[in-house]
Amino acid sequence: MEFYIKVLEITCLHTILVLGAYLMTGLTGLFSLGQGGFVSIGAYTASIAYLHFNVPFPMAILMAVLMGSAVGFVIGIPTLRLHRDYFLLVTFGFGEMVRAALLHLAQLTGGALGIAGIPKVVDLPMILVSILFITFLIYNLKRSRFGRNCIAIRDDELAASLMGINVYSHKMKVFILSSAITSYGGALYAFLIMFIEPNLFNWLESAKLIIITFVGGVNSITGAIIASVVYYSFGEFFRFVDVWRDVLLALAVLFVTIFRPGGIFGSWELSPKNLLRWRVKKD
Amino acid sequence: MELNILLQQIINGISLGGVYALEAVGFGIIFNILKFSNFSHSGVVAITAYFGFFISRYIYTHFLVTLIITTLAGGLIGVIIEKLIFRPIRLKGAPLTLFLVNSITAAMLVQQFFAATLGDDYYPYPVFMKQTSINIGNLTISKTYTLMLIISGLVLLLLTYVLKRTKVGIALRAASTDIRTPSLMGVNIDFVISVAFFIAGVLGGITGYLLGMTYSVDPFIGSMILKGIIAAIIGGMGSLGGGVIAGLLLGGAECLLIAEIGSSLTQIVIYSGIFVLLLIRPEGIAGKRYIIKA
Amino acid sequence: MEVLKAISISKNFGGVSAVDQFAMVQPENEITGIIGPNGAGKTTVFNLITGVYPLDAGEIWFYGKNITGLPSHRITDLGITRTFQNIRLFRNLNVLDNLRVAYGIKVRYTMWEEMIRWPRVKREEGETEELARSYLAYFGLEKYGDMFPYNLPYGLQRRLELARALMANPKLLLLDEPAAGLNPKEIHQLIETLLKMKEEKNLSIIMVEHHMELVMNICKMLYVLNFGKKIAEGEPKDIQQNEAVLQAYLGDEG
Repeated sequence: MEFYIKVLEITCLHTILVLGAYLMTGLTGLFSLGQGGFVSIGAYTASIAYLHFNVPFPMAILMAVLMGSAVGFVIGIPTLRLHRDYFLLVTFGFGEMVRAALLHLAQLTGGALGIAGIPKVVDLPMILVSILFITFLIYNLKRSRFGRNCIAIRDDELAASLMGINVYSHKMKVFILSSAITSYGGALYAFLIMFIEPNLFNWLESAKLIIITFVGGVNSITGAIIASVVYYSFGEFFRFVDVWRDVLLALAVLFVTIFRPGGIFGSWELSPKNLLRWRVKKD
Repeated sequence: MELNILLQQIINGISLGGVYALEAVGFGIIFNILKFSNFSHSGVVAITAYFGFFISRYIYTHFLVTLIITTLAGGLIGVIIEKLIFRPIRLKGAPLTLFLVNSITAAMLVQQFFAATLGDDYYPYPVFMKQTSINIGNLTISKTYTLMLIISGLVLLLLTYVLKRTKVGIALRAASTDIRTPSLMGVNIDFVISVAFFIAGVLGGITGYLLGMTYSVDPFIGSMILKGIIAAIIGGMGSLGGGVIAGLLLGGAECLLIAEIGSSLTQIVIYSGIFVLLLIRPEGIAGKRYIIKA
Repeated sequence: MEVLKAISISKNFGGVSAVDQFAMVQPENEITGIIGPNGAGKTTVFNLITGVYPLDAGEIWFYGKNITGLPSHRITDLGITRTFQNIRLFRNLNVLDNLRVAYGIKVRYTMWEEMIRWPRVKREEGETEELARSYLAYFGLEKYGDMFPYNLPYGLQRRLELARALMANPKLLLLDEPAAGLNPKEIHQLIETLLKMKEEKNLSIIMVEHHMELVMNICKMLYVLNFGKKIAEGEPKDIQQNEAVLQAYLGDEG
C-alpha cells in the first residue's frame, strides 16, 4: 500500500508540472525547454527559506511561487518576442543557466552536493488538492476568452493581433502563470523527495513534459493529465526498466504524431457537457 | 592572464570552436531548408560516436579509415532518420511544431536507448597515435584538438564548394528560399531533402567521431551538440557562415572564460550574453528578419 | 466625417517600393474600392493601415486620431477590422469560437475572474455566444457552430471570415478580395450583405478587389494603384474611361 501511495505521489506531482507545460506549450504553442529551471527555482527557494531562514512551510511555498513568477517575468521580457525556435533555445539556455547558478552559489545552495534533510511535509492529499485546483483554474481559462486567445495565438499570431489581442502581453501572462505553477510543483517536489540537487530537472525532463502534452493532445487538458499519469506511474511501477520507458514514450509519441497528429484525445475534454453527450448517445 | 595561458586557451578555443561550427552548420542546413530545429542531429552524433568506437576498437584501428566509415555511416543514418521520422509527417502536411516534437523525441529515443543498452560502461576510443600532443615553446597543442580543427575546416570548405558549385548544392540553396523551387526546376524535392539530411548526417558523423575521440563515448554525448545549436542561433539561423563565426567565437570565449572564472560561472556569463544579444538583435549576428505576409 | 485619412504613406521592402506616397480619404458610411493589377501594393496598403507593417513615411488618421505607428491590436480596438486575401481563420477553434475570439476586446471580465469562473464570466460568455449565434444565423451558418473552419466549403469559410470581422462592431471594415473564388450567386449575396450591414451599422468599407463588376456596382469611389503608386482616383464610371488605368491593366496597345 505504501508503495502505491508513493507512486501516486510522484505521478501526481509530475502531473502538476505537465499542467504548467500544457498551458505554455500545448495551449499557447510556446516551446520552452526551460521548465526545469522553474522546478529548481521553486524547489530551492522553498527549501532554503524553510531550512536556512526558518520560514514556515506555507510561506516557503508562497515565496517559491513568487520567485518563480518574478523570474518568469524577467526572462519573458526579452524572450517572448523571439521567433519560436529561438525561444526554444534560449529557454534551454535559461535552464542551463539556473543549473550553473545553483552550482556556483554553493554557499547558499550546497553546490553539487545539493540540499539534503528536507522533511517530508508534502503528502498525497496535498498534491491531489493542488492538481484539482490547478486543473480547475486552467480549465476555466481554457473555456473562456483567455484560452481562446491562447489557441488563436498558437494558430496564427498575426490574425490574433488583428482580432485585438495584445499578443506579447498575453504570452507574458501565460509565461508567468506557467512559471508560477511549475515553481509551485518544484517547491512541493522538494518536500516530497527530501533531497534536491542542481541536476534535479534537466532539459530532457523539460522536453518530456512537452512530449507528454503532445501525446495527450494539445487541445485537451484531459489528454495531458491522462498521458502524464500513465507515463509517470508506469515509470514508477517498472523502476528497473526506467530507461526503457523513455524509449517506449518516444516510440509512442512518434506513433501519435504520424498516425494521430491531434494527439490521442484530440480536442476532447472530460467535461460535464461531453459526458452528458456521451451518455445521451449511448441511449 | 599570462600570455602563454592566453595563447593556449585561444588555440584550444579555436579548436573547440571548430567543432561547434561543424555542429552549427549541421543543424543549420536542416533549419534553412525545412525551417525547423533538428534536434535529432544529436541522435546522429551519438550513434556515430558509438559506431566509430566499435569500428575502431574491434574491427580496424586506423584514424583515417574509421573516420571515413563513420562519416559515411552518419550520412546514411541521417537519411534513415529523415525517412522514418520526418517524411511520414511531411507527406501529411504536418505543421512545423510537429517536426520539432518529432526531432526532440528522436533525440530522446537515441539517448535513452543507449542509456538502456550501453549506458553502464565507459567507452574510450582507442589511442590512434603515440604522441597526443605537440609542444611548441611553452604551448601544448593537443593533437586531437588540432585534428578537430583541421578536419572541421576541410569539411566546411568542401561543403562551401558543394553548395556553390554543384548542381545539388544549388538546388539546396534554392530550396532554402522556397521549398517548392527545386520541383519547379525539375529537381525532385524528396531527393533534395534526402541530400540535405545526408550532408547534415555526414557533419554529424564527423562531430560524433571527434567528440568520441576527445571525450569518450556515453549516452549523453549527443547533448554536446547543444552548444552548436546555440552557436547557430547567435550566428543567426538563416546563415551558415554566421553559424561558423559564432561557433568559433563561442569556443574561444568559452575556453578563455573557463580558464579565468571557472566552469559554472562561464555558463552563466555565456547564456546571459546570449540573452542580451538576442534582446538587442533578435535575429542574431547574421540572421534575416522574417517578414510575415498577410 | 472623415473616417480614415492616409497621408502620403510609403513602404519599401529591401529597396523595392511597395507603396509609394499613397493618399486617400474615406468618408463615413461609404464603400471605397482599391483596385490595380496584381502586385500593385493593394494588400500592403491594408497592412499599413492595420499596423502589420510600420510605415516608412506618411501618416494615417482615423476619426481625427493619429494612428500611425500603433500596434495592430490597438488599431482593431479603435474600430478597424479586416478580412484576408488568403483566409486566416483559426483552424483549432471551432466556428463559434472563431467568432468569440473577435469579440474578446468587448468583454469586460478579467483574467482573475476567469480563473475562478466568477458569475460575471458565465454571464458575459452567454452574451458573447448569443451574439455569435445571431451572426451565424444571419450568414446561414447555424448548423456549423461546432465544426472546424477548414472543414467547411470555401464559400462558407469566406462568410465566416466576414462574420468574424463584424463581431466587434467595427467602424471601418477592410475587405481583401472578398469575392475571390465565389460564384455569381455568392457574389450577389455578398453585395446584399455588405449593403445591408453598411446601412444597419453605419459601417464604412474599403475593399481591395479584382472582380470588376462587384467593384463598379458597389463602390462609390475608386483608387487605382500600379507599382505602388496611385494612378487614378474617382467614381467608377470615370475610372472605366481612364487612359492610365486601361494601360495599366491591358498594357500598351501601341
